[in-house]
Amino acid sequence: MPIKTAFKTEIEHVSILDEHGQFDAKLAEGLIPDDDLLALYRHMTVCRHLDEVAFKLQRSGRMGTYPQNMGQEATSLAAAYVLEKTDWLVPCYRENAGLFWRGVPMEYVLLHWMGDERGNAIPRELFCTPLAIPIGTQMLHAAGLAWAAKYRGEKQIACTFFGDGATSEGDFHEAMNFAANLDLPVVFLCQNNFWAISVPGKIQCSAPTLAQRGLAYGMHCVQCDGNDLFAVAKVVKEAAARAREQSRPTFIEAVTYRLGDHTTADDARRYRDQAEVDLWKARDPLIRLRGLLKEKKLWNDSKEAELLEFAEREVAGAVQRAEGIEAPATTEVFDHTFATLDPQILKQRETRRTSSLGQQSGRSASHAPAGGSH
Amino acid sequence: MSVKQPSDKSHFILPDLGEGVHEAELIRWRVKPGEAVQEHQILAEMETDKALVEVPSPWAGTIRELHGKEGEILNVGKPLVSYEVGGGAASAATSAAAKPKAHAAGESEDAGTVVGTMSGTLTVSERFARRSEESNTATARKALATPAVRRIAKELGVDINRVAASGRGGRVTASDVQAAASAPATSARGHENGAALAPRSVVIPAERPPVDADGVSERIPFRGVRRKIAQALDLSVKTAVHFTVVEEADVTALLAKRNEYAKVLGRKLSLLPFAMFAVCRALRKHPELNAVVDDAAETILRKGVVNLGCAVDTEHGLMVPVVRDADRLAPVELADRVKALAEGCRSRTIAREELAGGTFTVSNVGSHGGMFATPIINYPEVAILGLGRSRERVLVKDGRFYAGTVLPMSLSCDHRVVDGAAGAAFLATVQSLLEAPETLLGS
Repeated sequence: MPIKTAFKTEIEHVSILDEHGQFDAKLAEGLIPDDDLLALYRHMTVCRHLDEVAFKLQRSGRMGTYPQNMGQEATSLAAAYVLEKTDWLVPCYRENAGLFWRGVPMEYVLLHWMGDERGNAIPRELFCTPLAIPIGTQMLHAAGLAWAAKYRGEKQIACTFFGDGATSEGDFHEAMNFAANLDLPVVFLCQNNFWAISVPGKIQCSAPTLAQRGLAYGMHCVQCDGNDLFAVAKVVKEAAARAREQSRPTFIEAVTYRLGDHTTADDARRYRDQAEVDLWKARDPLIRLRGLLKEKKLWNDSKEAELLEFAEREVAGAVQRAEGIEAPATTEVFDHTFATLDPQILKQRETRRTSSLGQQSGRSASHAPAGGSH
Repeated sequence: MSVKQPSDKSHFILPDLGEGVHEAELIRWRVKPGEAVQEHQILAEMETDKALVEVPSPWAGTIRELHGKEGEILNVGKPLVSYEVGGGAASAATSAAAKPKAHAAGESEDAGTVVGTMSGTLTVSERFARRSEESNTATARKALATPAVRRIAKELGVDINRVAASGRGGRVTASDVQAAASAPATSARGHENGAALAPRSVVIPAERPPVDADGVSERIPFRGVRRKIAQALDLSVKTAVHFTVVEEADVTALLAKRNEYAKVLGRKLSLLPFAMFAVCRALRKHPELNAVVDDAAETILRKGVVNLGCAVDTEHGLMVPVVRDADRLAPVELADRVKALAEGCRSRTIAREELAGGTFTVSNVGSHGGMFATPIINYPEVAILGLGRSRERVLVKDGRFYAGTVLPMSLSCDHRVVDGAAGAAFLATVQSLLEAPETLLGS
């Protein structure tokens, strides 16, 4: 009996604007009009500046912790740009650019990292879920949101963002399996930045691409240059159409790199080679976009200087608004999980301390730490 | 999370620079008293146990005073910098005198090094002496230094690979870099001189080092790995009642056997794996030494498994990785395990679990000289065997002289658990096994 081929496929890699300035105008056709391109570039620049300021806010004790987005701005931004305003954005925590494009005010994200949960109370009409800090939980939420939309007969889809490390989580596989087998309109957008904190991708996945993980679920999958606004826009646009028209999920691997530390509590110099970082600095999405705009005679140095001033003002305003809000009351940590508090939690709320950590119930409440520490 | 800063902006309280960071080492000031700073301007570089970080000013103002010297550990929640309040820059000139001296950052490279339980018998001076020998002979190698120090070197425009190292294990410290930056020509020359020295020659400085009024030539901050070693040793010595018994084993025959092994394997083997192999056999016979003490529960836990700790000297300090189920391994396997663990320790890739759970420890105290020692028990274990440097000696047997090689052994036991006789009996068993390699290894 001859051995037949049971299945054969190829994984496409989409690149339209590369780091050398090579631009495939044909592939880019109809994707992003020049006016929008300018707006997207300006938006990314403001996000980059916010990143720098937020980092310093943490270092001077004005923010709890902060994960810099630097280098990954193009991925979430391109996705938010091509999706409908009513499609769900289900982020991880490195998607500032996409969230702000959708309309989430910058101070919300700042508040969140300052430990104020009100920063996570994103207005409903923006269709964004809160930042998901535990790795990989949000992919299931996206599958659920898409399922609900499908059940209600709405043309809404869900796009979820996660990193390479999250693809090692069980939740990822559950979400992929549900989405594929229930025909759910989900776009799984994996931002492969090569490092799950200090764990390199190559020891988390033995396959040559992360994209092919989608194959196992019978899902369309594709890889693209995640630092290429056009490439991401193209693949997300196609994935969104597939979701909306055929109610089929897509798995996208956007190849990118975080130029900063994992968070402000990390020091990436301890595990990454400077040569590798330098290589990716040259692939910065901002640099290549600026290059293209200059080539199109849409940009020059004076506009750049003006933009930087604008970014400083914008960010300073957001910081001022975030810091100007009255600090949350310590009781608030109890207020957003249960509709009715059970007696034990009620007691904790009143005494503002826990009785579950071996503390004596006779001790006076004044010994409890004062601030709402996150 | 965030520390509350005074509303009058009179001083900046050092915040938690990471997540759950309680202290940080001041590496370098980037501002001076009297200097006007902008919001977000970098005040200082500090190293936490996780990262080297730049600390920016939370507001614009004029620096009145800097709290802390470079190289000092500062606590979160304490003032870092005081500012002039109400634009009073007038006193800036007077307070400029308070500028801290750019003092040696000391052992700053060690902040945050994770170490396991410590034991060992090397004194501080021995360790320092050995280090300088190593750093003098290491010439063309890539410099050992932390990212913090590398960064300082980069910023000062110093090629770190050309800096003479004075840190532990030949590491380049921040002060080395600063010294090299201020006198590049002399430091390079000094380095070459060091390289030219014969490895064994003893160099005694002709002059006294400069001293202060108390006769002190150097004040070395007692912290980092050194502090952690100290804490572990302190706990051991204050808890376990130490006694030491010493013995020599005639390893002439074992060395011949070892050379046979080496020939077959095509690589060198030290005596250490054979001694570990003998220790494992002897522990079967003397199980009272293969135990740990649970002082809180007042219980002695005699262990059925033999997890042999093996003291490894690394640039990060003394570490004791544990060879699990050592009694099930052949000498060659023991050698391989120790090599792998030691490499793990040196590259800091070792898992925490591999630094814990020992039931007995062997320490190669003689690798740099010395016959006998009084090893400190790797508490809560109850015994430790220190191996001295083996050497040729004139020996006597049956009334006749002969030349042979002896291995000095020093066994320390916790007298609360192990009696003198039991300790001596164990050591005698190890000795007999080492002296009869046929019995130990089979023919």
